[in-house]
Amino acid sequence: MRRQYAIRSLVVVIGLVIIGVGVIVQMVRIQNSEQAKIFLSQGDLYAGEFRTFYPERGEIYDRNGHLLAGNRTVYEVGVSLTEMKDVDAIAYVLGTYLNMTSDEVRDKLLNSPETWTYIVVKDYVDVNTVTAIQDVIRQLDEADDNRLNGLGFKPHYERSYPERNLASNLLGFVTRDGRGYFGIEEKYNDLLAGNPVQVWVPRDPNKAIDIPRVSNGTTLVLTINRDLQAKVETILDQSLSEYGAKNGTIIVMDPKTGEILAMAATPRMDLNNYTDYFQIYDNGSQYNRSIGMAYEAGSVVKVLTMAAALDTGTVTPETTFIDTGSIDVGGITIQNWDRKPWGQQDMIGCLQHSLNVCLAWIATQMGSPNFYSYMEHFGLGHPTGIDLSGEAMGRLKVPGDSDWYPVDLGTNAFGQGVTVTPLQMLMAVSAVANDGQMVTPHVLYAMLRDGHQYNVPSQYAGSPISEETARTLTEMLAASVESESASALLPGYRVAGKTGTAQIPTEYGYDPNHTNVSFIGWGPVDDPRFMIYVWLQEPTTSIWSSQTAAPVFSSVAEQTVITLNIPPDLVRNQYGSR
Amino acid sequence: MQATQIIHAYKQAPWRVQRQYVGAFLLTVIVLALVAALYLDVTARTALAGREIQDLQVQITTMQRTNADLETELANLTASAVMQRRALELGYRPVEPGELDYVFVPGYVAPEPAILLAAADSTLRSDSLPEAYSQSLLEWLDEKVNFAGGIQ
Repeated sequence: MRRQYAIRSLVVVIGLVIIGVGVIVQMVRIQNSEQAKIFLSQGDLYAGEFRTFYPERGEIYDRNGHLLAGNRTVYEVGVSLTEMKDVDAIAYVLGTYLNMTSDEVRDKLLNSPETWTYIVVKDYVDVNTVTAIQDVIRQLDEADDNRLNGLGFKPHYERSYPERNLASNLLGFVTRDGRGYFGIEEKYNDLLAGNPVQVWVPRDPNKAIDIPRVSNGTTLVLTINRDLQAKVETILDQSLSEYGAKNGTIIVMDPKTGEILAMAATPRMDLNNYTDYFQIYDNGSQYNRSIGMAYEAGSVVKVLTMAAALDTGTVTPETTFIDTGSIDVGGITIQNWDRKPWGQQDMIGCLQHSLNVCLAWIATQMGSPNFYSYMEHFGLGHPTGIDLSGEAMGRLKVPGDSDWYPVDLGTNAFGQGVTVTPLQMLMAVSAVANDGQMVTPHVLYAMLRDGHQYNVPSQYAGSPISEETARTLTEMLAASVESESASALLPGYRVAGKTGTAQIPTEYGYDPNHTNVSFIGWGPVDDPRFMIYVWLQEPTTSIWSSQTAAPVFSSVAEQTVITLNIPPDLVRNQYGSR
Repeated sequence: MQATQIIHAYKQAPWRVQRQYVGAFLLTVIVLALVAALYLDVTARTALAGREIQDLQVQITTMQRTNADLETELANLTASAVMQRRALELGYRPVEPGELDYVFVPGYVAPEPAILLAAADSTLRSDSLPEAYSQSLLEWLDEKVNFAGGIQ
């Protein structure tokens, strides 16, 4: 009996072992078959997905921490066709909230390519609209109504400019494809945008830690002072209205560091509606006239001519010149702005009365090699290197150029026949305001990335003139402003500066009825804290700079000393002596 | 005969041998069950932790978006034009140069531009974690087997 049990048990055990071994063999065979590889690869497809992580675009702040360009969340509203239950209900709801007709939505959903499983109905939908739609979905869910199944909302960032049109010419804008145009946004686009990262994101929660973190774009801090920028823009707008000018530009710079404190230009645009660009501007050079538009600046160039003459020793402040009202240079007669003789003048008188004949004579005394060498060293005809996109170079014709004539030496000396941008002039004259050292203008103060801060150092662009020349010329220009451009004066502060009234060249010669008026000045003379350049295009109330640009300089200087807390000379000297 | 008696005297009874086999088998089963339970517990906890990490990452992304939105909203509310309008509504007016008084403060140094340096990101990076914290038992075994195979 026991033997029979033993045999039966043995048979059962052998049977179970055979089945077990069979199962194991089959498992191994299936695991290693050709089909298994296909199944594995299909399984891998569902194990995760390739996802591109776009970093948040870096923000832009002014020097005092006011946000000039930030980001806000908007949504892409779409429908998953595989989950869609009721196309009419979805079309009705989306049509109601997205300012579309139900038919438009229905058409998008029903007439999509067969292979598509997801349809984007509308992008850049604001958070309030999305919240309203989500409320409707929630109410239906509570009632076990799934007619809106398939609706999806994908959040992403959109550039936002809280100050709207403030400093718009300087900031530039970002389009919906994420690319920056003009100004800071274009110049530092790569830094601001950061690096998108495409990675395989596993669905396995055990591997959740492998999801990478994407660093945001670099945040930029500008040298701009928002409050001063706002005041300067207000003054510019009022000036255009008061003097009937077509357009204008005002730049305020720290002459010691090259930091741009304010840069206003017209026209401006609300950066949140960047599509307005095409209605406002005819071409890119108009976007920021401070750097993008070169023009014949006129008598402000006399500052550079006089600086070169003093530095070469061609003249001293006491050198006298008998102005007969005209001078022959290269066979062409050059006259004063009023076509009158001014008699005997010293060099201060030449600047005070802005005598073309005197400055043309100085240039001829200096000689064209010297004159053009200095102009080159002042940076005329070259970009300043400012960290803004869209800078123009201007044009300085030099001997040897096919369109240079000997008379150009005389006319260039008083700013005719040479084109410059307002910023070029500011940079060139910074050598006079800054003891002979010319600064490179810049708008970037610092960069912030991954918890680190990188400050941008100031850079000097050479020393075209000596310290002594700079101080001598500053005194001459201060005296010049005090006697001839009283409207540019700022009570309590000693300032130096020069007016510039330039006729506008046309195809048929110079337009006698329209001018570009400019003023360049700085102060306080004994310790310059600001440099200001004003350019008004074709003012109609007066064609003279002394009656238009000069008072604008005074207004800007007044707001600058208030905003930057610069005490009057008397107060500074009292405290300085303690 | 004597030898057989000795063997019988020292040989264990058959039921004792069977009991030892059964005991060893049961012990093996219990150990395997314990290891399996432990592994299941660890795996389940890891999965839960992984899911929490995924949720936290979603929360971080949401908070970053909220933060960006709030920053922009705050900037909208304190924009230059808005503040000027509010100041005028409250009865303030722009200061005139003659109305300013300057006070000499010995040792005072004008502040440098305020920089908005955010706190350094101290988030633990995934690549700084030892593998033991993210590896399953099977992955560990697989690595060891492969490593041993590599040596051969």
